[in-house]
Amino acid sequence: MPLLINHAVAEDSWLLVDEDNFTAHINEDIVVPYELFAEQSDSLLNAEGKLGVRINGDQNLDLLLQNLDKLSLIAIEFPAFTDGRGFSFARILRRSGFTGQVRAEGDVTRDRLEYMERCGFDAFAIPADRYSDDILSAFGEVPVHYQGSADDERPIFRQ
Amino acid sequence: MYQYNEQDQNLINARVEQYRDQTRRFLAGEIPDEEFRGLRLMNGLYIQRQAPMLRIAVPYGLMNSVQVRKLADITRKYDKNYAHFTTRTNVQLNWPKLEQVPDILAELAEVQMHAIQTSGNCLRNTTTDHFAGIIPEEIEDPRPWCEIIRQWTTLHPEFAYLPRKFKIAVTGGPEDRAASQVHDIGLHLVKNAAGEIGFEVLVGGGLGRTPVIGKVINDFLPKQDLLTYLEAILRVYNLNGRRDNKYKARIKILVNALGIDEFRKLVDAEWQIIRSTELALTDDYIAKIKGYFEPHPYASDAVDGLSVLENQLEDRADFRAWYERNTRAHKVAGYRAVVISLKPHLKPPGDITDVQLDAVADLADTYNFGEIRSTHDQNLVFAHVAAGDLYTLWQSLRDLNLARANIGTLTDMIVCPGFDFCSLANAHTLGVAEQINAKFDDLDYLYDIGDIKLNMSGCINACAHHHVAHIGILGVDKGGEDFYQITLGGSSREDASLGKIIGKAVPQAEVADTIEKILQVYVKNRFEDERFIETVRRIGLVPFKERVYAAVN
Repeated sequence: MPLLINHAVAEDSWLLVDEDNFTAHINEDIVVPYELFAEQSDSLLNAEGKLGVRINGDQNLDLLLQNLDKLSLIAIEFPAFTDGRGFSFARILRRSGFTGQVRAEGDVTRDRLEYMERCGFDAFAIPADRYSDDILSAFGEVPVHYQGSADDERPIFRQ
Repeated sequence: MYQYNEQDQNLINARVEQYRDQTRRFLAGEIPDEEFRGLRLMNGLYIQRQAPMLRIAVPYGLMNSVQVRKLADITRKYDKNYAHFTTRTNVQLNWPKLEQVPDILAELAEVQMHAIQTSGNCLRNTTTDHFAGIIPEEIEDPRPWCEIIRQWTTLHPEFAYLPRKFKIAVTGGPEDRAASQVHDIGLHLVKNAAGEIGFEVLVGGGLGRTPVIGKVINDFLPKQDLLTYLEAILRVYNLNGRRDNKYKARIKILVNALGIDEFRKLVDAEWQIIRSTELALTDDYIAKIKGYFEPHPYASDAVDGLSVLENQLEDRADFRAWYERNTRAHKVAGYRAVVISLKPHLKPPGDITDVQLDAVADLADTYNFGEIRSTHDQNLVFAHVAAGDLYTLWQSLRDLNLARANIGTLTDMIVCPGFDFCSLANAHTLGVAEQINAKFDDLDYLYDIGDIKLNMSGCINACAHHHVAHIGILGVDKGGEDFYQITLGGSSREDASLGKIIGKAVPQAEVADTIEKILQVYVKNRFEDERFIETVRRIGLVPFKERVYAAVN
């Protein structure tokens, strides 16, 4: 699955773990599902590696907001392209001061990349069958923004 | 009216090219049907029963003559020489080709028009009072606020994939011609005890399968907080609205499930975080936008036309009838607002031909400062006609079949396109509208019945707002046959209420006869000068039920 980080194809340096194997990798850079983080947050937060959490719109963002300074990556799942909750999650994470990677996963395809980036995503895991080399031209298709974005909070009337 | 600057123009030009590329990739098989559906809907393109339908935005119902001429031109070049105005004051083309839509959009962009967010689960066109800016009782012109909201909603990156569509209406004073209480958000300009002007905010109104009157979430919102507050409501809705069932996904369901007090708590908590951010409006920006809605240069000698007008009204009873039904007071002496009826005899309500569009544009240039408004009731308005011009304007409109003196009467119906065009509808609304038109063609009878609102929807989605009509008609399908359910007592005005069903649905052939029976009960029971809705509220449904469903001897 191609991964774009800051408009460039990148290798994924993170290891996705689950409840069965996370102890074996606990000191590596790992991404854990939200449920596992909720259950094991003490041991995960005190481990030596960098920590990422994968969350979706049904889960409670507050738990992550309470631990933002200890997280390096937050992966937000889009179960369907029509599910817009992830946009608000990213917006809230950035305005709360999160500077780590915010990655879009799931039904992540070209025609939503620009909006996702404006909401604060900087990494996009794109299904292989929907990836093509010209996908980068999706960014900046509409150069004028009436609203503020994650990288520039000013709406048009303050720009 | 608002004029695009370079940035506004760049935005819509870029959007046209973006959509052109999306269409190209769809036709090349690179975008799945379901995903393209979302993209095209966000740009106003439906796939309908016979052809696609393109809904073009008319922000808060305001157009200039150049735009209207362009619409005429587009209907000639890409469609079948007519267009249709909707209850969101937008305009629809019924026969465009999917492949040609990008070209249509490019032509629209030349005159500062677009189809952005006219459909889909996103922030839709904001609507307002079609008499905005000319009403003496108005607290403030709502249109600058509509423009501020237009800019904030346009291509909002966070709220393009909401649980369901989202509609906002703004009113400028105590009268409500925008059906604001049945919108997802209704904004009312109000003055508080300190004399400051702000907004009363309603949330969770709506029609469709579950009609609900909106509830007050904030009784006085300071102006500079408008966008932060709207953003707080939208964020709470985007995160918490139901996504498992599209019939339970509107904000009204969320507000009802949580209760307005709990919903308000969530909004306030979010609002406190963002209230002082860059999204707070600046005085400069508000003043700049207001500058686009300054009064027209009214002629100081327009009052001289009043005596001429007086004589013309004496001479011609048909002109007087039109004047009384189709014109309204203007706050500037010597001027009137004219409603151009798009409800001619035996034609689909809201339709207008290319020839009529061109002629309306010319008349607007001659008599109305080049301005044309579309209304929630599917008519057009010339808001600023000098008294001395009314007679000649009436003659021109009459020649165009645009001067039927029926505004506010039974035949000034809101009707959705129904089964003939819409893939959702189960009933032939246009045929029934014809039946009603044919039966109630006698103007004297219509004037005797007086102010009455009849709306007809072809299905439960209620596009024609039948729940909030004095007489509402809903087409239902029973075993492959059309039946029509009738409600009485609804209103979309400041006294908003939902109509109640009077009994079992009637067959198509009996709709006009049933309305006649209802009107007979009204005429028999009304007090002098009592309007239909007032009589219904006073005597209740029982006398109407008894008459309509009386056993035939």
